[in-house]
Amino acid sequence: MNLLELARKNIAGSAFRSWTVGLCALLVAALTLATSLILSGAEDSLRLAAERLGADIVVVPEGTEAKVESALLMGTTTRVWMDEETLDAVRAVPGVQAVSPQLYLSTLVDAACCAVSDMFLVVYDPQTDFTIEPWLKETIGEGLKLGQVVGGHYVFVPEGEQNIQLYAYLLTLRANLEPTGTSLDSSMFLTMETARDMARISESMALEPLVIPEGKISTILLQVAPGFDLDEVALEIMHQVPGVTPIVSTNLFQAYRQQMTSLRTSTTVSMVTTLTLSLATLALVFSLATNERKRELGMLRAMGATREFVFGSLLVESGILALAGAATGIVLTVMITSLFHNLIVNTLNIPFLLPSLQGLLGPVAGGIGLALLCITLAAMVPAYRISSMEPAMAMRE
Amino acid sequence: MKAIGGLLIILALAVGIVPALTSCESRGKAIALPNGKSIPMKCHWTGRAELVAAVPLLAVGAIMMPTRRRETLQALSVLGILIGAMVILLPTTLIGVCANPDMLCNMVMKPVLTFTGMLIILVGAAGFFLARRAESQ
Amino acid sequence: MIVLEGVTKVYTLSQEHKVTAVHDVSLEVAPGEFLLVTGRSGSGKTTLLNLIAGLTRPTTGRVLWNGVDLWSMSDRQQARLRSRRVGFVFQFPSLLPALTMAENVVLPSAFSVNGDRQGAHEQAAELLSTVGLADKLLAYPRQVSAGQQQRAVIARALFNRPEVLLADEPTSDLDEKTEREIMDLFQAVHADTGLTIILVTHTAELVSYGTRHVRMAGGQITTEED
Repeated sequence: MNLLELARKNIAGSAFRSWTVGLCALLVAALTLATSLILSGAEDSLRLAAERLGADIVVVPEGTEAKVESALLMGTTTRVWMDEETLDAVRAVPGVQAVSPQLYLSTLVDAACCAVSDMFLVVYDPQTDFTIEPWLKETIGEGLKLGQVVGGHYVFVPEGEQNIQLYAYLLTLRANLEPTGTSLDSSMFLTMETARDMARISESMALEPLVIPEGKISTILLQVAPGFDLDEVALEIMHQVPGVTPIVSTNLFQAYRQQMTSLRTSTTVSMVTTLTLSLATLALVFSLATNERKRELGMLRAMGATREFVFGSLLVESGILALAGAATGIVLTVMITSLFHNLIVNTLNIPFLLPSLQGLLGPVAGGIGLALLCITLAAMVPAYRISSMEPAMAMRE
Repeated sequence: MKAIGGLLIILALAVGIVPALTSCESRGKAIALPNGKSIPMKCHWTGRAELVAAVPLLAVGAIMMPTRRRETLQALSVLGILIGAMVILLPTTLIGVCANPDMLCNMVMKPVLTFTGMLIILVGAAGFFLARRAESQ
Repeated sequence: MIVLEGVTKVYTLSQEHKVTAVHDVSLEVAPGEFLLVTGRSGSGKTTLLNLIAGLTRPTTGRVLWNGVDLWSMSDRQQARLRSRRVGFVFQFPSLLPALTMAENVVLPSAFSVNGDRQGAHEQAAELLSTVGLADKLLAYPRQVSAGQQQRAVIARALFNRPEVLLADEPTSDLDEKTEREIMDLFQAVHADTGLTIILVTHTAELVSYGTRHVRMAGGQITTEED
């Protein structure tokens, strides 16, 4: 019989206390991990989306900032238009090194079943593009040809077929992008040439034709020449080109960042509430339990246990419960956040990427550490009080 | 073993009911063919298969409740674990669900079934170990 | 040899309310004695026993074990003394409910220096069979009678082969027949091992079991007889 064995037996012997303490540990660890996973995952996702865009400034039709941002981040289908001439006007602004137009299209809502429904299509111009083309050259060694597309992470060819059919047009999937944790994973990128071809074919073949307005574009991606300040160039565009709003890449997704701030606030509040409640419950459970065990602990001292042994055995007991509870909480959280990832993204309307196994270590250690700290703190006070009591006093009723 | 049996019955009911509420068909979605007919999607068939898995699991739970013999309890637990594995494999590999990550079957049905399957395996394993304490006859 | 020199214990319940549980008691207990301490409840018997074991600090006076003042020792040294040289039989049900009878008997090994020593469980089985519980090794305390529990407590008290056995009203919860059985057990242990036993009881009829008897009243020793 040693301290650890005694602690284990005592845990098994008092089910109510053990379950309460374990459950508190589970809650604290799970909530800590879930919060840090979602918040840091969301930040990763925002950063990645801005990086992927690869432009210094995005010029959008005035008043459509939010729509475009949610399209770029979440892959929400959107239709925004401005005149093609805007492109030349923006190019003429001093400090602008390169511009490239993009068109945002969407497929029919609920098109053929599962593989593609309500899909966000990004049409780019391979002649001027500086964001997708370089990636393509690196990945597949060449640009997209007529009828070829690049898909988000989840885009794939339906089973038993060679092509993806959109508007009665057969598309060949050349490559897939890395996951972003958003609906952007089910969006598609294609060239202007392919889009026009698709529109042409759809007129006669599809139930509802794809309409690309003549002389219109959705957004302009822009690179700023070295030595120029992004904000100044953006300001200049605002002055010189009417009817558009330039968004500097670092300011992208403002709406989402604000949403994240409120998410952070609400999770902080719920964290603090859970921690306080857990601590209060634990303090109550431990002081009740230690009172109830006064006589037993006094008896152990009479039988030759030192003060340290009594103190230690109480802490070891609570420590085992804390670790077991926290470990369960961690496993549950990891399972639930990865299994229900899409549901969480859709419910919170904030994208988040699950971290790699390595990135998981920090938050996991944090969760377990916090649970252990809470429980040790709550157990420490009554454990100290009882272990420094005279054994004869402890044994008296 | 009453508790284990009861848990398995509850989980079996979940396996049977969840697909009915969360398959795409439950939301009136189906593949529309050019000739006007519609055929059910993958998730519908997964739902059917889960129902087929839920029935024996229900039986396992029900038989487990009054059983006291160790060998029988262990055999039932192993059966429960195997069905739990089926519950996970059906929507993930064997049949699958619809491909679009934003569809209900993908967002809710698959993870719920996977999670329930894991719980079934856990409960089954617990049953197997608890059965060691039961009497052998 | 245990010596009490003018020991007084005053419990301070509040500023005005103080209770003198033991008043100026001097007592010598020689090795191998079976001392019975009797007295009504509240006479200070239990406090006397606690003072002897170092479970409470005397307000004045000294408690000497083989010439060494208990309260000149550190907590650790006191604990070691209790663990190695003293066996305790308590008044209240003192088996841990989460442990089996055998595990309860080996419990003192958790605090002893050699810790989890080999053969501890064999020794526990032997002790339990000595006290007539050979078939209850794996039973939990709630599954046996009060008399059987007290027997296991005696077995546990003997586990570390103590020099002194301290028993505080060990038969107070038992019927007459069981009480006699337990007292017979104490007597048999005393005869077999020759260890010192100090047994506190309010039942005056038990005095015949000891080799010496002191009576307490109002915190003082009133009569002493061999």
